[in-house]
Order: sequence, then C-alpha cells, then structure tokens
Amino acid sequence: MEFELLEHPADIGFRARGRDLAELFANSAKALVWIMLDPEHIEPKQPIQFSARAGDYESLLVSFLNEVLYLVDSRRLALATFEIIWLSETHVDCIAKGEPRDIKKHPPKLVVKAVTYHQLKIVQSGEEWIAEVYVDV
Amino acid sequence: MAEIAIEKLDDLRFRIPRNESAGMRTDVIVYANAALLEHIRRDQSLVQAMNVATLPGIVGPSLAMPDIHQGYGFPIGGIAAMDIETGVVSPGGVGFDINCGVRLARSTLQESDVRPRLKALIDQIFRDVPCGVGTEGRMNIGRGQIDDVLRRGARAVIERGFGEPRDAEFAEEGGALKGALPEKVSDRAKERGAPQLGTLGSGNHFLEVQFVERVHDRTAAQALGIEEKQVVVLIHSGSRGLGHQVCTDYVALMNQVMPKYGIKLPDRQLACAPICSEEGQSYLGAMAASANFAWANRQGILHFLRGAFRRIFGDSVRLDLIYDVCHNIAKRETHVVGGKKREVLVHRKGATRAFPPGNPEIPAAYRAIGQPVIIPGSMGTASWVLVGQSGAMEETFGSVCHGAGRVLSRTAVRKGKNAREEQRKLEDQGILVRSETRDGILEELPEAYKDVDEVIEVVHEAGLAKKVARLRPMGVIKG
Repeated sequence: MEFELLEHPADIGFRARGRDLAELFANSAKALVWIMLDPEHIEPKQPIQFSARAGDYESLLVSFLNEVLYLVDSRRLALATFEIIWLSETHVDCIAKGEPRDIKKHPPKLVVKAVTYHQLKIVQSGEEWIAEVYVDV
Repeated sequence: MAEIAIEKLDDLRFRIPRNESAGMRTDVIVYANAALLEHIRRDQSLVQAMNVATLPGIVGPSLAMPDIHQGYGFPIGGIAAMDIETGVVSPGGVGFDINCGVRLARSTLQESDVRPRLKALIDQIFRDVPCGVGTEGRMNIGRGQIDDVLRRGARAVIERGFGEPRDAEFAEEGGALKGALPEKVSDRAKERGAPQLGTLGSGNHFLEVQFVERVHDRTAAQALGIEEKQVVVLIHSGSRGLGHQVCTDYVALMNQVMPKYGIKLPDRQLACAPICSEEGQSYLGAMAASANFAWANRQGILHFLRGAFRRIFGDSVRLDLIYDVCHNIAKRETHVVGGKKREVLVHRKGATRAFPPGNPEIPAAYRAIGQPVIIPGSMGTASWVLVGQSGAMEETFGSVCHGAGRVLSRTAVRKGKNAREEQRKLEDQGILVRSETRDGILEELPEAYKDVDEVIEVVHEAGLAKKVARLRPMGVIKG
C-alpha cells in the first residue's frame, strides 16, 4: 500500500510507505493529491519540474509537499506521477506529470491549507521507509 | 503519556499548575464544565496548551476555552498573551487561516417570508457565491491591485463596488488591521490568494441562512437590530490561500531562525521569533496584510449574497452587517495583569475577542451593550450571538470561545454514512444543504462537534460573555 489516512480530531493526516526515501517522497505526494481531489482520471500528459530545500529530511518532506500543494491549489494542476530525480538531506528535485485541473474529470475533495510539522515522522522499519504527515484542512 | 494533573478551581474553571520540569513558565487555565472537560481530556489539546505555556515571554496563564480541541502546535480554542518586549510571536499561534472569522448580517425578512422560497434562495446563493474548491472567485482583483486590498482590507473592495460604506464600520478593526506590510507577503502567497478573493473555501467554512430562534437579552438584541423570527445570514471564512501561504512561509522561516535566538520548543509547529526581531516584525506585517485580505474576502461574499437575496426577494430586501469578528489573530493590546497595565500581543487561536461595554474599540452603536461575539455552531444545530463582559477583560485578555469544537475526526464521522441520506435527514429538520464536494456534508455533521449550547453556557456563566440570541439554520452552503 502506497499510503493510508490517519485520523486527527480536526484535520487529516496520512502514513506513506516506500522502499527507499525517493519512493517515500513520491508516495507522500500522491497521498496529498488524493486528499485534495479524485485522482482516478488524471492523465500524466504534462511534465513539471520543481525542487525544495530544507535543513533535514523531515523539514524537506514538508517543503516538498508544500510545493506540491502550491502546484495543485494555485497553479491548478492535477498531478498523477512523481519521479524523484535527486534527493539529499537538504535538497529534492522532482518531475511530476499531470494535466490542468478539471472539476468534472477530477472532482475536488478538500482544500488543504498547509502541510504541517505536527507529529511529523520519517522512520525506517525493516526494508521500508514510513512517513507520517498531518495537513491542515 | 502520564495523566495530566488538573485542579478544580470552581465549577467552570480548572487549572494545570506550572510544571517547571516540563519547561512551563505559567499555569494553564481551562474553562469548562465537568462533561466538557471529559471530552477535552480525550485528545492532545491540554498537552498543547501546556506546550504554549513554555513559550518565552508569556504573560498570565495559557488559556483554554470550552470549545478547545487538538490543533497543530497551538490548540484550537486557546489564548496566549506575550510581553511586547520580551515575548515571541508564533505564526502557528494564529494559524494557517489568518483572520478566519465570522460575519453576521440581518435581513429585512421574517422566517415565514423565506421558508416558502428557501430552495430557490439556497440554489441562487450556491450559484452566486463561489465556494472556490474547484472554481475561482469573481472579484477580479488583479495582481496590481492586491497590495491595496492587503493594506486597506474591506474598504479597498467596498470602494470597488463590493459593498456599502457602513459595512467597514461594523467589522472588528474597521475591516483593516493597522501595520499591514504587503511587501512582506510573498509573491507566491499573492498568486495563490488573489484568484480566491470572494470565495468561501472548504473544511469547516460555511455560509448559513438562519432565523433568530430565541432572544435572551432584549436590550442587546434591540441594539443589534434583531428580533425573534428575523432571518439573518452568517458567513464563516478566512484569508484563503493567501493566509495559508503566509503562515507556511513564516513557520519555515522561524524554524530556521529559532537557534539564532536560543529558542528550543517541544513542538516544531510552535515555531516563533521574538516580537521585536526582524522576523517577528515581518510576520506581524504580513499577518496584518492577510487579516485585511480576509475582511475583503468576507466583504465580497456578503456582496454576492446581497445579489442572491435581491434576485429572489426583489430590490427592497436589505442585508445589513451586524458585526464581523476574527478568531485566528495576534493583536497588540493593553491589559491589566497583576494590577499593572501591560502591552501584550494576544494570540487568539480559535478564540474571539469579547470586549465589555464601554470599550472604545466597539462601534458607537454597540458600545453600551458590549462587543458582539458571533459563535458559529455545527451545521444543523445552532449558532449564537453574545456580547463581551467585564469578566473577559479581567480573566482572559478580553477573549472567549469561537465555536462548538470538534470531538470526532473527519474519517470517524464519515464511517458508515451516506451523503444523500444525511442531506435528507437535515432536510427533514427544515435545513437545506448544498455542498461543492461530496464529503463536505459528511465531515461536518453535527455529531462531529460538541454541544454548542453547553460551550456557550460555560462562557455565559463564567461572566466572559452574555447570551443575546440563539440562531437556527434554515439553509447551509458548504465548500
């Protein structure tokens, strides 16, 4: 399973998994898109490259997801795939693919205000990496 | 986690004493009755209120209102005042939705005028007021004009035709917080927010057509121009993507600079900087600009609502603004603490200002009764109008609660429920609901919230604010 939802009294979170950190970042981005809109019919037509910087992996994940949020909420893109092309503790480069948002094709679910540091976690468990992230809705 | 030790002070007040080993600089005071306290203890909100008590420069206790629930860093329903010289400002203590707030307007219609045409009215509002979940706003404020909105708030859009001059007078701060610095708001925040101006948003934001079910204080109700059976409209929205981005930008910035100021915190989401620092001042300028955007946003929504009412009921129908309050904000105010006047920055995170009668900040028309406090309840239950009382000034930095407060998560409340069926149940109670998203209705069902009447009873009995009127919903628009 790429991700599952986590409960919060007022808002919502997700637990994402990956075989490595790059896959973990990509699956976290998919979880965020899933919370915002119905991703079933997104076509990965148009590539868009973006990057994020921070001081450690956890902050980097928040910065990276806030970039995804900006692309979906402000640039109005529905994103289907995320390819991490470079990842270090302080820098991530990603090529996402998707298409312009269409209310009929990708019915909106929730407006996410921001990705938070609340109970933020990245841990390695056996062969997989797990991240827990909460978003403000 | 160990059980938190709570002392009962009286039937409505509880204290978590300062625990120095946990880094607390002050006590936590919780306003609740025994039943509400049981709810409150089930989530992390009291731990969060204790974390707030660790912030440098906190003056007086870290306060928890009866609607308190778990937030991010700060609890929602919390109040913390910081010394203006030695204290910190925390963007998380204001929240991602800067100046999320409530606006209440009275109509010239009675419940019996609206009931027969309710469906047409709600459908018209749903068409005219964009929710902004999948669509953009209709105010067409371009990037060139956005700085004027950030500087002057409600008045900037009223002058562009979105309202009446008197509207601004009846908003907290006259619809524009002083000290706004649009240049401290990132281009990205402006880009994200500008097309969303005049839209409702999703989550717990909503717009309701309501009627005054019961008046509890005739003198105050008369001053506010409301009587039983009169139809009113309530708008609950904030600064949309602009405020969310400003908070995101400054939480990241403050996380970077905290080591420079020697600040260590139990939760990164509490990230803060000294009020007097460059970063603190930049945030406060950007926060004021975002607050002004929120007032302009609620002003735009009221303008579109007026259009919808006129389309259904003709040109003679009026919607006059009663008042507009913000419940996510940090404000510089003077309060008496320990017998001495002190300048403080009051963080109200899910808390409403509630100044008592005679306060010069209150519009002249209401000064004798106290500041109107508007408390939205959950969809399908009730909302309340209160007025601030002297107890708030003496005990809570002139503040009260902001809503009912959630008890069930979004996923928990949705379980086993069907949106159509729930919509029909509400219709059976005389409440029509329209939502732009399928899950919008399910996630905000009344059972997700505490009993708003019980929350109101606590602040009324504690002398923080006085009950004026209970409002019942007739129609709800949700994002």
